[in-house]
Amino acid sequence: MLSKSVIEDVLNAALETGGDFSEVFVEDRYTNNLSLQGGKVDSSMSGRDFGVGIRIFKGLQSVYAYTTDSSREGLLKAARNAAHAINGERIIQPQAFVNQLVVSEHPIPLNPREVEKIRKVNVMKKAYEIAKNYHSLIQQVTVRYMDEEQNVLIANSEGKFVEDRRVRSRIAIQSIAADGNRMQNGFYGPGAHSGFEFLENLNLEHYATESSRIAVAMLGADPCPSGKFPVIIDNEFGGVIFHEACGHGLEASAVAKNNSVFANRIGEKVASNLVTYIDDGTLQNEWGSINIDDEGEKVGKNVLIENGILKGYLIDKFNSRRMEMPSTGSGRRQNYRFAPTSRMTNTFIAPGASTREEIISNTENGIFARYMGGGQVNPTTGDYNFAVMEAYLVKNGKIDKPVRGATLIGNGPKTLHLVDMVGNNLAHGAGMCGASSGSLPVNVGQPTLRVSEMTVGGRKGEE
Amino acid sequence: MNLLEFKDLLFKAGQEHGFTDMELAYEREEKFGCELYKGEIDSYDTSEVFGVAFRGVFNGKMGNSFSEKLDEESIQFLLENAKENSQIVEEENEEIFAGSESYEEGTFYSEPLREVSIPEKMNLLKEIEKYIYEYDERVTGTDYFQLSSAETERALLNSKGLSLQEKQNYLGLYVSVVVKQGDEIKNGAYSKFTKDFESLNPQEIAKQAVEEALSQLGAKSIDSKNYRVLLRHDAAGSLFNTFSPIFSAERTQKGESLLKDKVGEGIAVSTLTIVDDPTLKEGLLSRTFDSEGVATSKRVVVEEGKLVTLLHNQKTAKKEGVQSTGHGYKASYKGTLTVAPTNLFIQPSEKSFEELVASIEEGVLITDLSGLHSGANSVSGDFSVAASGFYIKNGKIETSVNQMTIAGNFFELLNQVEDFGSDLEFAMSFVAPGYIGSPSLIIKELAVTVE
Repeated sequence: MLSKSVIEDVLNAALETGGDFSEVFVEDRYTNNLSLQGGKVDSSMSGRDFGVGIRIFKGLQSVYAYTTDSSREGLLKAARNAAHAINGERIIQPQAFVNQLVVSEHPIPLNPREVEKIRKVNVMKKAYEIAKNYHSLIQQVTVRYMDEEQNVLIANSEGKFVEDRRVRSRIAIQSIAADGNRMQNGFYGPGAHSGFEFLENLNLEHYATESSRIAVAMLGADPCPSGKFPVIIDNEFGGVIFHEACGHGLEASAVAKNNSVFANRIGEKVASNLVTYIDDGTLQNEWGSINIDDEGEKVGKNVLIENGILKGYLIDKFNSRRMEMPSTGSGRRQNYRFAPTSRMTNTFIAPGASTREEIISNTENGIFARYMGGGQVNPTTGDYNFAVMEAYLVKNGKIDKPVRGATLIGNGPKTLHLVDMVGNNLAHGAGMCGASSGSLPVNVGQPTLRVSEMTVGGRKGEE
Repeated sequence: MNLLEFKDLLFKAGQEHGFTDMELAYEREEKFGCELYKGEIDSYDTSEVFGVAFRGVFNGKMGNSFSEKLDEESIQFLLENAKENSQIVEEENEEIFAGSESYEEGTFYSEPLREVSIPEKMNLLKEIEKYIYEYDERVTGTDYFQLSSAETERALLNSKGLSLQEKQNYLGLYVSVVVKQGDEIKNGAYSKFTKDFESLNPQEIAKQAVEEALSQLGAKSIDSKNYRVLLRHDAAGSLFNTFSPIFSAERTQKGESLLKDKVGEGIAVSTLTIVDDPTLKEGLLSRTFDSEGVATSKRVVVEEGKLVTLLHNQKTAKKEGVQSTGHGYKASYKGTLTVAPTNLFIQPSEKSFEELVASIEEGVLITDLSGLHSGANSVSGDFSVAASGFYIKNGKIETSVNQMTIAGNFFELLNQVEDFGSDLEFAMSFVAPGYIGSPSLIIKELAVTVE
């Protein structure tokens, strides 16, 4: 993507003012984004991103510059602009490159760049038809499709020179059910670190039907009662709650500065014995998987919490300096415009022994959160909040009426201790996670599980 | 290759490919950002990026593509992809715009701001930080402490002879302070976009952020029930931002906004007026032409409770037989054309914030909302979002309250606004595109659940 000699010169220029580490990240990314509404394709955009990020460390100081000007002069100017912040005398020269070859763990039989767009449209139309025809109350269905081929080159002053290609495909189905003045949404957005074969082999019937079924079910629902309840969170995308409630707090970006409730607590009990929490970027072709992270480190499987005991954090290169712990291959960034930091890949609660039926039948009066919407956390306090997309009351061990507009709020570290049943049906769901290094594809996952008490916010008031 | 050379080559090759009308939109941005942590530079970013968006009519249909590289290869890429895209899009056609009769003179670029050096910006942060730690011993650190400044330039060139260009710059500051008392940890923030560097008073900024954090300590639980709610300007602004897409004609035409067919009707209390003003000097989204090249102007969207107009681009306007309101919007050169407000705000009244508090016998003051991107549904208007704030009793702020959720419906809320403050501010909330402002608002009743 760029010649070795130019990269070498840039790494060298970046160290002119006393930096002790320099890095170049080159990205050439091709994307297609299509949208279909009311059965018709209403937009189709194709683009090429091309840019270079240059990073310099000096001790615990980090400087970043990025540019779309990939000429030698443009890059040297960017490197010197960044180096300007360091303001000292040169201490090191970059080391000679050692080529590192990446063998992809994620086979891509059908690169979407080679696939005619009309084939993509056909898949979208099929999903549309299924979702639209599910029920007469389905008023509107939107199907979005995206694919990308991201080519990256990472080189640094320690001699690293490595290239990788990431190919991702995703389809997202949104259904709106309407009845008079009431409207409710359903959504499903499966994605993978895969080519177009992912969409051709996908069980569209399942995803499109579910999206519409959720919207229709919620249309007929009463407002959710508020108060404290045991909450059963279903498997797959339900894992978003632990992504927010504890995943972000285990990222070095929060831990390194003691801004996380989990800082300095390795070896301590931070969760119920039933909780084992893992981040695994190696899962084949999964949405959040990568071969190497955006600092060129091999991605791995990181056990964060094991049977309730805190085992580790997600650490990037820069924060590893402050924490004096090695990188866990967790340095990620949305694109060249972001300096990388510690981020999740595919993060999930490991399966337990209970069945979903057992969990429900053991719950007298609670809430069953079948599909979660999004949420957010304040990593400093651990306070989180989530929207529940599809929820039901649980009465006397049985699923009762649907309820809409439920929000779950609580405190991550406290919630972890309140997990009192964990199911055996682990599954993963695709999502986008936003943080300081941008918006990234991540999987969240879990089996069906129960939290003995959560605060549920809804419009109906306390019962 | 420079922009004009690139345009000439692209339009020439485009003609050979069979494109009839063509447009090239260009954006260039120079940015600087830095973060400070306990006296040390924690991050320092500089950047210079540009990109182009191409739109072209092929076989009577519009196709889109973009690139961040201005080279021969990209000309082929842009044309081939736009051609393929034009043939699969089935929507009614967009058109390349020949231009409005006249355009305002934009004054969104501050020369004095450009002259502010990086060391001066760093010094401001150092000063603020010094005051933060001096202010109170319960301050343990900052979780966000950043300054950013940007200069953007955009141009629109098309084969119908339109050639528009505009520059803008701004400086942003975001400070979030962490305080600790016993086991209780809280944070409080100060944020601002401005073109006036001199107006930033470090002592005042530090005080505001630390006070905001300290005031939340000693949080108590109160009964979960319906309360009269005072939404402070920033909380009101972020809620309004989330629901601002309801005014988009694109949304109403797609059946995604309940304001469909409501132009001319009352949708809010008669004291509520909403204005969209792209001419504001300090407006983050100020501009003289929209993403299609249509001249922009100040517009009243809701006047005394009545919906005066929806926001339109050319395509949505054509469908309804009206004129574009100059709200054609692309998030960047990477986006396709949609509709979004510019600087949209609820008109303030005369009452001070203190007077609003004093007028409440029992109620809840909300100072911050989170989870708006997931807990609010702009289609139905329903929201149930996490909130922080205070309990008001007999016209006085009595105590900070544990994490809450507030739940309601935005369309109902528009009819439940009882009073407005004079404290109009624009919110740093970007759930939906648009720079959105509001004064503090008293809402008759919302469901409040307390942890």
